[in-house]
Amino acid sequence: MALPKRIIKETERLMAEPVQGISAIPHEENLRHFDVVIFGPSQSPYEGGVFKAELFLPEDYPMAPPKVRFLTKIYHPNIDRLGRICLDVLKSNWSPALQIRTILLSIQALLGAPNPDDPLANDVAQQWKEDQNKAIATAKEWTEKYAKP
Amino acid sequence: MNRQRRKDFLLPLGGEQSFEPPVPPQSLMVGNVPSQESPEQVALAAHRDARQLVRLVQCPQCSRPLSAPATLPCGHTVCRRCLPHPRPRANISYPNTPDRLFGLACPLPQCGAEHAAAECNVDVTLSKLVELIKAEMTKHNPSTHATPTQLEEILQCDDSMAMEEKEKMRDISNQRVLHGGRLVSTFTMAEIGELQYGSDLVYHTLSSTGDDYQQLDNALLDRLREVAHKELDCLVCYTLMMDPTTTSCGHTFCRRCLARVMDHSSICPVCRRDLHIPASLQNKCSNALLNSLLNGLCPDLVAARAAAAEAEEQPGDDTLTTPLFVCTLALPTMPTFLHVFEPRYRLMMRRCVEGNRQFGMVMYNRTSAPQGDLGPTQFLEYGTLLEIVNFELLRDGRSFVETRGVGRFRICAHGMLDGYHVGRIERVEDLSLAEEGELEQRETTSAQELADQFQRENPDAALPADIALNLHSTQNLLDSCMEFIRQMRQASAPWLSARIVSVYGEPPEDPALFPYWFASVLPITEEEKYVLLRTNRVRERLKIVYSWIGRIRGQRWPSGNACSIL
Repeated sequence: MALPKRIIKETERLMAEPVQGISAIPHEENLRHFDVVIFGPSQSPYEGGVFKAELFLPEDYPMAPPKVRFLTKIYHPNIDRLGRICLDVLKSNWSPALQIRTILLSIQALLGAPNPDDPLANDVAQQWKEDQNKAIATAKEWTEKYAKP
Repeated sequence: MNRQRRKDFLLPLGGEQSFEPPVPPQSLMVGNVPSQESPEQVALAAHRDARQLVRLVQCPQCSRPLSAPATLPCGHTVCRRCLPHPRPRANISYPNTPDRLFGLACPLPQCGAEHAAAECNVDVTLSKLVELIKAEMTKHNPSTHATPTQLEEILQCDDSMAMEEKEKMRDISNQRVLHGGRLVSTFTMAEIGELQYGSDLVYHTLSSTGDDYQQLDNALLDRLREVAHKELDCLVCYTLMMDPTTTSCGHTFCRRCLARVMDHSSICPVCRRDLHIPASLQNKCSNALLNSLLNGLCPDLVAARAAAAEAEEQPGDDTLTTPLFVCTLALPTMPTFLHVFEPRYRLMMRRCVEGNRQFGMVMYNRTSAPQGDLGPTQFLEYGTLLEIVNFELLRDGRSFVETRGVGRFRICAHGMLDGYHVGRIERVEDLSLAEEGELEQRETTSAQELADQFQRENPDAALPADIALNLHSTQNLLDSCMEFIRQMRQASAPWLSARIVSVYGEPPEDPALFPYWFASVLPITEEEKYVLLRTNRVRERLKIVYSWIGRIRGQRWPSGNACSIL
C-alpha cells in the first residue's frame, strides 16, 4: 500500500534537518521501519554512549503511536531488558500532533531524567531508589560496556 | 475623517473599475459550505479581485483586518474584541463547566444563535495567518507615494431603498488616494477603517502613464500564497487542510482527520482539552473563512488534495474493494447486530455509511487452519456480505449497527487499509435449479437402491444414518425440520422464545433460506453453522441442518436461568 504523505514528509524533514544527537534512517525495503541512534545526553550516566534503537510506524500511524525499542543494552529504570520503553507519550498520552522527531526527543530526555517512580524494570528502579549513586555507577558501567561505538 | 465628496466619480468610467465581481461577495461570506460541495472554484486574481481578497481577512463585524480572530461554533470568524460580552446562560447545567455557563449572542446576523463562551476561542491557524498577511502588506506598503490609485467605496445598497437614501449613501461613502497597487491600498483602507465589509470599490489609477500597478498586485499575491501555504497544512496529515474544521479550543484540522482522531480519543491532539463534540462531527460546522481562503487562493491545490484523499481511502490495490469485519458469523437474509467500538472499525463503519453501506463479515480463524489458497489467515475464507439497515452512533463514537445479510462470498485476496482488513471477494451462489433437481434425483434414487440392498442383507438392522438421510426428498427434509420447530415451540424451548422469533421472523418456507433462519436461532456453535456458508446446493444445506435435529432432540434444554443474548 502507498505510504501516507505524512510519513514521507516526516522522513524528508528528519533527513533535511536532523535532530541534534539523534539519527533516524528508514529501511530501504520498509519505509515504516527506522534505524535510530540516540546519543546519551551530557551530564547523565549515559553520556558518551551511542544507543541503537528501532522505530516502527504501525499501519494506523499517526492515529496510533510509533513503536520504539532499544537494541543496545541500557541500565535505566524505565527501560527493560528487552529494550521496551515506559513513556506516556508512547502509550496513553500519544497524540497525532506528535511526531517521530518529538518522540525521539522525549526518549532522549528520558535518558537525562530517569523516573524510578514509574518503573518498567523493577529491579533497576529498586536499585535506583535504594542507592542512587550505585545505580548511576552501574548505568555508567553499562554505557561503557555496551554503548561504545 | 478625510471624506471627499466628488459625485462625478460615482458612475463607471470605463475599464478601470471592478464593478462586476467574478466571485459574488456572498460566496465569500456565507458559512459552512464544505469545499467539495461548492461549484468549481476559480482562483482569485490579484488585481481584478483585490476587493474580494481583502474582504477575506476583514472582520465582518468591525470591517477592519481581523485581529486575534475567533472562529465561532457556527463556523464564522470575527475579531475576538468584536465578540459581545458574555452573560450567564439561563437553565443550562450540562456540560457543567464554568465557561459553558456563560454565553454570547453570535454577532453575525445570519447565525443569531447563542454560543457558549467556552466555544469562542481564538483560532490559532487564522491568527497566525492574518498576522503573516498583515506583515506582508506592511512590507509591500511603499515608502514613496509614487503609485497613486484613487479608491472609491460603493456601499451596499438595498434595492428597496428609496432613491434619496441611495444618494445619501453615496455621499457618506469614502474616497481615498492610496499607494502600492490595489491589494495594498485596499488593505490600507480597511486598516484605517474606511472600508465597510460589504462595500465594493471602484479604482482609478492616477498614474501619469496610465499604469494600473498590476505587477505590484501579482507579486504581492504570489508572496501571500507562499506565506499562507505553510500555515494551511493540517497537523495530523501534514497536507493541505481539506474542509478545515476548528475545535472549540481553536485548533484546526481536516474534517476527516478530526473524525479519525475522535475514533481514538475525545481530546484535542494539540492542547489535549476535551473536545465536547459528538464523534460524528455531523453538526460541527466547517471553518467558513479558511474554506474561502483555500478556495480563493489555491483552488487547484484544494481539488488535487480532494482527489488524493479519495485515492488514499481506496486500498492500494483497487481490486481489494470489500472492507472485512472480522468478528462473528452472519447469515444471508438474517439480521446481525453489531456493537462497534474498536477505532479501526469505527472508521470502517463511517466509510461504509458514506459509501454503499456494505461490508463483509468473516469469523476469526481460531485454530489458524489454512484457508484454501490464502494460507492460515486471521479469518475464515467464507463470509457474508452485510448491508447496514440501521446505524446508531453514540455520543462517544461507539455505534450500534443493524445489518442484514445480502449474500455469501469467498475471499480471493486480502490486504490492509488503515488498520482493518480488505479483500477481493467472489460471490458464492447456489447451483441452477436444473442441477439441483438432478442432484436430488440421483441421491434419492441411489439411496433407495442402497437401502433396499441393505435391508435384504440385514433385515433387522436399522439403516446407516447417511443412507437414511439421503432417502429423504428435499421437501421432506424441510417438512421434518418444520415439524421439529413446531414440537420445540410446544415444549417452550428457550431458543424459540417470542423475543427471538420477533427478531428473526417466522421460519421461511423457502427451502433455500430455511437453513439460515434455523442456524440463526439454534444454539449450537458458530463453527458448526459456518459450513452453511460454503454450500452451493439447497439440498446440501437442508441435510446439514437436518443432521443437527437428531443431536438436539437428545439434549435437555437448560431452564430459564440461562442467558439468551440477542
